[in-house]
Amino acid sequence: MQILGLVLSLAYAVLIVWIYATEPRTFREAATGALVAAGTYQVNQEKFDAGLALFRREQFRAARDEWQRADPAQNDALTQFYVAYSFYREGWGRVYNDDDLFRQGLEKVNRALTLASQPLNISDPDLAMHSAAELKAELEAGTERNWGDVNPLKVMKKRK
Amino acid sequence: MSEQLIAANRSRNVALLRYLVLPIVFLTVVLLGGLRVNSDGGAFIFIPPPLVTLVLAALLLLLSVRGGLIETRAWVGYQHSPLANSTSISTLIALFFASAQAFNSVLPERGLLHWLFSFFFLWTLWNNQFSSFDARRLMRSLIVLFGTAFVLKHMLVASLYEPDGGWLKRIAGTLVQGISLGTLDAPTFSPATGYISFFTLALYISGLLLIMLTEQTETSQQLALSSTSETENRELTN
Repeated sequence: MQILGLVLSLAYAVLIVWIYATEPRTFREAATGALVAAGTYQVNQEKFDAGLALFRREQFRAARDEWQRADPAQNDALTQFYVAYSFYREGWGRVYNDDDLFRQGLEKVNRALTLASQPLNISDPDLAMHSAAELKAELEAGTERNWGDVNPLKVMKKRK
Repeated sequence: MSEQLIAANRSRNVALLRYLVLPIVFLTVVLLGGLRVNSDGGAFIFIPPPLVTLVLAALLLLLSVRGGLIETRAWVGYQHSPLANSTSISTLIALFFASAQAFNSVLPERGLLHWLFSFFFLWTLWNNQFSSFDARRLMRSLIVLFGTAFVLKHMLVASLYEPDGGWLKRIAGTLVQGISLGTLDAPTFSPATGYISFFTLALYISGLLLIMLTEQTETSQQLALSSTSETENRELTN
């Protein structure tokens, strides 16, 4: 009984520490977090594909919504890469970029880079940038202020 | 039922309480003590115990030992096996954090009220260190202490700041905030928070009552054993 008590107490204490560290906002989040911790977390492929179809139709917000449902724990590098890409494409402008969207994109691409165990390269013909590093550089350049911003020839540039 | 069987059952129940039930009860208090439910959308918010609650918990544990609620020798000592000692220590650690979280549950989260409540808790516990206490009296004192804090935080203060309260409540809340220059500001939570806190405190007090029960059972068992051995000794000398 003592061994059982000790083991149960330790397991329960670890669970409590984990809950306070991850701070899940709902039971669903707690369950997803538990799957991630157990290493059995998987992205919902059907929802990911639906998001990709919306992304290709330039419906970026709807695409992000689908990807949020496909990867609720935001733990899949590929999904996070596409989310970042959708922020880039939505925020890109011929005259000026939407800084807020670019910053969110930068946050997501950094997350994707952290999650990826090796350099993240995506072979999607629809994309002009195939690596997370490229996307990150583009988003960073978009948020920086320099004299190039007032160059009138900037309107000739193409969205990637 | 023979006396030996009764004694065996008694010690088995005490072990069940001490090594299994009490840690689970106290760890549940640790889990729920910092849980609040957001009034917008009902999202969970986990608030770790502030530093002051750890000080309060230490004082409370000290008071429990002084008041005889926790007989340290019965929990930890050379006479017990290392495993029993480890289990008892883990239960006492759980009790310490449960006490901290019980305070966390009834302390306002920020502002002047947080420090006012903390000060009153500190004052009460510090004063009690120098009073003569027994386990029963200590339990009654703790029930009153936590009960009062619960009513003040989750009923009085919460009703002053609830967003969908009547106009009179809102005026009172605004007046209180204005007079105190905004220092009496308190975050608003869903009513579920009050229910969770009530359940947490009930569980914590139940845990303490169970400790008192096990201590009394063990004392009566020891008394019974000593009286039996005395009778046997007397019979042998006669």
